[in-house]
Amino acid sequence: MTELSDDLLVAYVDGQLAHKQTSALEKVLAQDDVIARRVVTLKDAHRRLEAAFEAILAGEEADAAAQPVPRAPGLFIAWDTLVKGGVAAAGIVIAAGLLLAGYGWPLAAPEFAGRPAAMETVASLPPDWRKEVARAQALLGRASLEIGVDSQSNPDFIAFQLGQAVGSELTPPDLTAQGFRFTRAQILTFGGEPLAQLLYLGRSGAPLALYVKKGGKSAAPQVMRHEAITGIAWSQGGVGYFLAGESDEASLLRLAEAVRSE
Amino acid sequence: MQAEELYDSIRAGLIAMLPRLKRFADLLTGERRAGVALLGRALKYMLAEEHRYQRGTALDLWAFGEIYQLWLKELRDHADPLGRAETDDASFALLFPKGSGETFDTFTAGFLRGLPPQQRLTLLLVYGERFDHIEAGHVLDVTPETIGARLVRITASLADQLREGVTVPASAANAPIEGPR
Repeated sequence: MTELSDDLLVAYVDGQLAHKQTSALEKVLAQDDVIARRVVTLKDAHRRLEAAFEAILAGEEADAAAQPVPRAPGLFIAWDTLVKGGVAAAGIVIAAGLLLAGYGWPLAAPEFAGRPAAMETVASLPPDWRKEVARAQALLGRASLEIGVDSQSNPDFIAFQLGQAVGSELTPPDLTAQGFRFTRAQILTFGGEPLAQLLYLGRSGAPLALYVKKGGKSAAPQVMRHEAITGIAWSQGGVGYFLAGESDEASLLRLAEAVRSE
Repeated sequence: MQAEELYDSIRAGLIAMLPRLKRFADLLTGERRAGVALLGRALKYMLAEEHRYQRGTALDLWAFGEIYQLWLKELRDHADPLGRAETDDASFALLFPKGSGETFDTFTAGFLRGLPPQQRLTLLLVYGERFDHIEAGHVLDVTPETIGARLVRITASLADQLREGVTVPASAANAPIEGPR
């Protein structure tokens, strides 16, 4: 039996040998069953390792390519855009309604507290949808559009962008076990500071929104209500959270607990 | 190149590589959650320190190296670095996509889990990323000879276990101890 080291055999399996070395080794393999079997096993090990890494990458790419909002046949572009825009608009309106209802952040915001002239401009609008939209508009900043529609399916990029804005690690909580699917995220502006908005959709009903903002002393969850919307507010680790939706209080408290335990 | 253009090109490049970067971070930490967190911190650091990127360097090599160096730094700063490096079976199995059917190889997954992170990355960089030994050594801050030696040792160890029909792969404790660099 010929004695050949694993160094040489692995180099052969990995394709690292020069042509002449490969030819010489293959002649040995043709004559020595023991070494040939060893090479077969090494090739099997090599193949398994490659396949394992490919499987992991395939999973990561599938995650990245996953579309958060299903496309409706026949209305491909318009419907897709409309759904995404609608979810975003609903989130902004919910945000505006809740924040302006006196849940803390607006009261300290210079835009609302220190600029009465700007408020007069808003107040001069008729008390209809345009008033709400004008308030919602104040929450939008350039950063709101930095997480583009194309990036919404990439949780890592979203976590990265949100983390940069909020100044704390922020991976969108997984609420699929609670029946809510993460759909998109954006960075709003409140009082000159970033306010992260993460939107979820259940099987039916209005969107669920989680707002995250840097600052605030630790506080246990508190229930807050504004018309049809119920919110759960709490702070932990120097970050304020506000979970808002049209679900009942008990359901929202369970969801808040799920977020807190993430 | 203007600074703003450089920033944008690095960011765009990193975004395009996210699945690969995530696989790297996941295998380094041994679990998805910790991998995502590490990757987030590393991306933030890379963009903040983008001036450290040297033009002409392959962006993936640089990015992998930065993630690894950050992990190493955090490991050294940790009160219990040995305990922190441990990975459990269930968390590691989650690195493999659910429903992958025949592609999920429990044996190889268990074998990989039992390896030290640096050895897992050596395999990933050469067999998964198709880097040569010099490039892999650059990322992991070791010599090409060390990369080659690790590959032989790990592949031979897996082959031995396959030949012997081991049902549960041996942990890293059973693998030959690596010599000094």
